[in-house]
Amino acid sequence: MALLEVHGLRKVFGGLHAVSDLSFALHRGEVLGLIGPNGAGKTTVFNLITGFLAPTAGRVSLEGENLIGLKPHAVVKKGIARTFQVVKPFRNLTALENVTLAAFLHERSRPKAEARARRMLERVQLGERRGAEAVDLTLSEQKRLEIARALATDPKILFLDEPMSGLNPTEVEAGCELVRQIRQDGITVILVEHHMRAIMRISDRIIVLHHGEKIADGAPQDVVQDRGVIAAYLGERAV
Amino acid sequence: MTRLLAAAGILVLVSAPLLTGNPFFQHLMIMVLFWTLLGASWNLLGGFAGQVSFGHAVFLGIGAYVTMLSYLSLGLSPFLGMLAGGAIGAMFAVPIGLICFRLRGPYFSLATLAVAEIVRLVALNWEQLTAGPMGLLITQLPPLSFAGATVDWESKIPFYYLAAALALSAMGLTHAVSRSRLGAYLTAVREDIDSAEAVGIDTVRARVTALALSAFIVGLAGGFYSLYFRYVDPDAVFAISLSVEMIFIAVVGGLATTAGPIVGAVVLVTIAEFFRDRFQAGHLIFYGLFMMLVIRYLPEGIWGGLRRLLAARA
Repeated sequence: MALLEVHGLRKVFGGLHAVSDLSFALHRGEVLGLIGPNGAGKTTVFNLITGFLAPTAGRVSLEGENLIGLKPHAVVKKGIARTFQVVKPFRNLTALENVTLAAFLHERSRPKAEARARRMLERVQLGERRGAEAVDLTLSEQKRLEIARALATDPKILFLDEPMSGLNPTEVEAGCELVRQIRQDGITVILVEHHMRAIMRISDRIIVLHHGEKIADGAPQDVVQDRGVIAAYLGERAV
Repeated sequence: MTRLLAAAGILVLVSAPLLTGNPFFQHLMIMVLFWTLLGASWNLLGGFAGQVSFGHAVFLGIGAYVTMLSYLSLGLSPFLGMLAGGAIGAMFAVPIGLICFRLRGPYFSLATLAVAEIVRLVALNWEQLTAGPMGLLITQLPPLSFAGATVDWESKIPFYYLAAALALSAMGLTHAVSRSRLGAYLTAVREDIDSAEAVGIDTVRARVTALALSAFIVGLAGGFYSLYFRYVDPDAVFAISLSVEMIFIAVVGGLATTAGPIVGAVVLVTIAEFFRDRFQAGHLIFYGLFMMLVIRYLPEGIWGGLRRLLAARA
């Protein structure tokens, strides 16, 4: 059985079909990349699965358990954690406090939650910066902070929304390494990304969305050759 | 340092009435404590969780009316009535919270304002229950026997100590919450609701809990108000100005601090009395001017600013 199953997912905003009839399965241990031109509905898919938006129709289940209708905090408890495309750290709290808040999900006592938070910060190489307020971190550090926060909830699946955007090449390199490590730790990853080189390298499989519809689903090298995908990105004449 | 300050503060509170027999000063001190109580409870939701309520007078009014009615119609001891007022205030807070917390930021604030106005209008027009604009009056309070002594409520001193006990408990509660897991959740809500949800915090539950706690204390304060003044009417206890005043106390004192409300109450109550004495209605101009100065130069409030200065020197 797939870890996460999405069936017939649909979201309509007024007259706009942001996501139409999307079905896919996510397998345990996999890194799945979700790509598509701007406005293709990638972030909407994230929001639908993580409970931030209610779908118009469709089913989402984690290990056979329905997720539709759950509030975001309940989805996190089931084992799906996420980061945000535009980072949303707790700005005026320190890095350690940021992650401690997430660690409270499994550790009731503050000392234990803090110890867990420290481990998570080490994991994303932010151990040294734990005393800094989130506003004072660089964008790359804030993105790592969000990943540490998500990891502290002990997820089965990690949803990363554009983890590489706005990072310099060295930081992208380190980001790819971090995703690989997370996967080695047994966490399944699904990520939205515009940074093509990065996503091609770290994904086992790629799904391409266009106007809210899935137009390709397969291994990275096959997907880039797909005529439909090239047309979606570059226009019909480029095919 | 903080403990020393707290101990000194409590000592001053206990001994203050011995310093003056002047009923005006006694009244002033009672008002300072009453407003500390309100500021502290508003701060619990508005300061720690960043949820700015413009309608907290609704809980004050409920507390005041429950205390009055349970004494006048049911013959319940007014002090049990006061507790009942707090409890019923908290009970009302749950549905109010579940509705208003669907909204965020200024929309939440406006919704609380609307709720308070609706309840004020109901109180004004439900004459069988509230006697409408006529109000309710207690002519005499039953004496309270306590540890062999009898308190007759004719002087202001027992009210002073009652207010002091309530204000201290409210500050104690705020302090306890600020150190608890709930306090951490409320901070997360204030910083970013989406992120709070994303790390597994049930933000609606955290906010409703904070509102209910806050409403309980404001309800107690309403009960105190009704016993101290022995008269309530809807325009007195459900007034928007009360809700706004609570915000001023918390903001001037220092949002999300334990000691801020008492600092705010001392400063604002004193200023209001001082200028009212000299300029009658014109005193509001000075009050407003003072508010603008604080917001411009001490955005963290007087206590918040002071604390930062102390921390910087240390």
